[in-house]
Amino acid sequence: MEDKLKTIIIDDELLARNLIKSYMQGADNVELVGECENGFEGVKMINELKPDLIILDIQMPKITGLEMLELLDHKPEVIFSTAYDQYAIKAFEHNAIDYLLKPFSRERFLEAIKKVSERIIKGDFNSESTSKLSEELRGGFLDRIVVKDRSKIHIIPVDQVIYIEAMDDYVLIHTDEGRFVKQKRMRYLEEVLNPSEFVRIHRSSIVKVNEIKELQQYEKESYVVILNNKTKLKVSKSGYKKLKEILNF
Amino acid sequence: MYLNHPFISKPRLAFFYIFVWVVIMAGNVLLRWVAYGVNPGVASVEFFAFPFMFSIIGIPIWYVIKYSTIENNSVGRIITSHIMAATIIVLIWLYLGVVIMKLLHPEFDEWSETGIPANVFFGYMLYLVYVLFFYAVNYYQGFREKVINESRLKSLVKEAELHALKSQINPHFLFNSLNSISSLTISDPGKAHEMVINLSSYMRYSFKHFQTDKVTLREEIKNNQYYLQIEKVRFGEKLNALFDVDESCFDATIPNMILQPLYENAIKYGVYEAAEPVDIVTRATCIDDLLEITITNNYDPNVIAKKGEGIGLRNIRDRLQIIYGNPSLMKVEDKRDKFVVTLFVPQN
Repeated sequence: MEDKLKTIIIDDELLARNLIKSYMQGADNVELVGECENGFEGVKMINELKPDLIILDIQMPKITGLEMLELLDHKPEVIFSTAYDQYAIKAFEHNAIDYLLKPFSRERFLEAIKKVSERIIKGDFNSESTSKLSEELRGGFLDRIVVKDRSKIHIIPVDQVIYIEAMDDYVLIHTDEGRFVKQKRMRYLEEVLNPSEFVRIHRSSIVKVNEIKELQQYEKESYVVILNNKTKLKVSKSGYKKLKEILNF
Repeated sequence: MYLNHPFISKPRLAFFYIFVWVVIMAGNVLLRWVAYGVNPGVASVEFFAFPFMFSIIGIPIWYVIKYSTIENNSVGRIITSHIMAATIIVLIWLYLGVVIMKLLHPEFDEWSETGIPANVFFGYMLYLVYVLFFYAVNYYQGFREKVINESRLKSLVKEAELHALKSQINPHFLFNSLNSISSLTISDPGKAHEMVINLSSYMRYSFKHFQTDKVTLREEIKNNQYYLQIEKVRFGEKLNALFDVDESCFDATIPNMILQPLYENAIKYGVYEAAEPVDIVTRATCIDDLLEITITNNYDPNVIAKKGEGIGLRNIRDRLQIIYGNPSLMKVEDKRDKFVVTLFVPQN
């Protein structure tokens, strides 16, 4: 086979990476082009080397493997490797995702590689289902949002979010430290943020309840909220209803 | 419900019963002799024939009350069954009494004119006394049983709570360790061997003890060192475990596996997220009847950890509270770049 799959290993543990490397020596259809030990390095290396395949640990320091995937411009095929995560395994099975449970055998590893390369040959890419996976995997509401600003990665605790604005296919996350673009839809953010803290007041905005200073009527039946930082945002009818419920007026 | 007669299951009660009857008999005979000049022999026969005979015939009344307990039967049924039982017992008793009197009493005919009707009334009265007595015994037994059951239930609940609180081996840790071993068998079999031994020792320790068991601090620390050595293989230079334990503290006792979650947290939130080496320092001092253990780790305050922590710490607090009955045996301090947990373990 001429075209070997360019592969990157992303795992925080040296011993785990070493094991995969030793397994890869027995596979003639993959070629190791890089390895790294956290998601920050991972994003950089993937965007630089544009691998065909990454072998990705989920539990890693700083940002998880899944958060890392959200930040990629180039989306390679992914084989997840994880030690123990009952939620992840359920989601993997549900989405027909390739995964390896540590410790895994050489045979199991080669089998996973074979499956991916067959899929690539057929032109059947799996990146769609992996991005769906990370949405499925969050347990409960989000604590933090990971964003990329040019080459810099920011981890925004949701406590620091003031409001979120819709911008076509993106959202603009406003915080004390500035604005960040995230490639997600409002629908998604509305779902993953705790509804007792964040309210979708309009088609185009989600507001943190604690940041609301005033609610003003500016026409009959139409309102605006004024935030602590003086931003004015329109409130839709259904948004007004939700605010009424949560603020108890 | 058990039908066992209380005189059998509680011999002390039987002795007491016999004693009371002997005292009553002696008192009765003596009183009649001294106060009324009745011949003690005649008085004894009269007492024996009736009241004393009842003390024997009355014993089975227990079964009547057991079959007509107040809780499970209607008032009508209880009264009916007692009237029937009383009549049968009184009739048998009277018959036996009369036979005894006829055989032993010198003035039977004279006695029988007034004695028989008086004893019918007396028999029913005695029956009533017995019924009340046995109901009391039955009630008391039920009460005791309830208390015992309750305390048994309580200790079961406590055991179950402790079972839930005691740190279990984290599956994530276990599988990651096995993965490290799997890797080492290829690159460094000697180290793999060592790690298998450490993992086995640590697992044996965590399985060995019951939830309420206390161990010496020496044993607890030794076994946590196995745990830390395993993690050291995974994290290398990043993990630095230091111990500063007073010689005198090693024999102090501590609930088993109570320190492990603290080390696990220190690794999860300190070592795991850090780029720089992290010191996990264990200090122990003993003052009077208190063992004080402090575990400190530095951490990177810029890391925004995912929530969900705190369960391990709460479990330790709850466990200490269940074992020592004191809710304030753990102190947690977050000093921005340092996390300090102190346990106060009473000794006595």
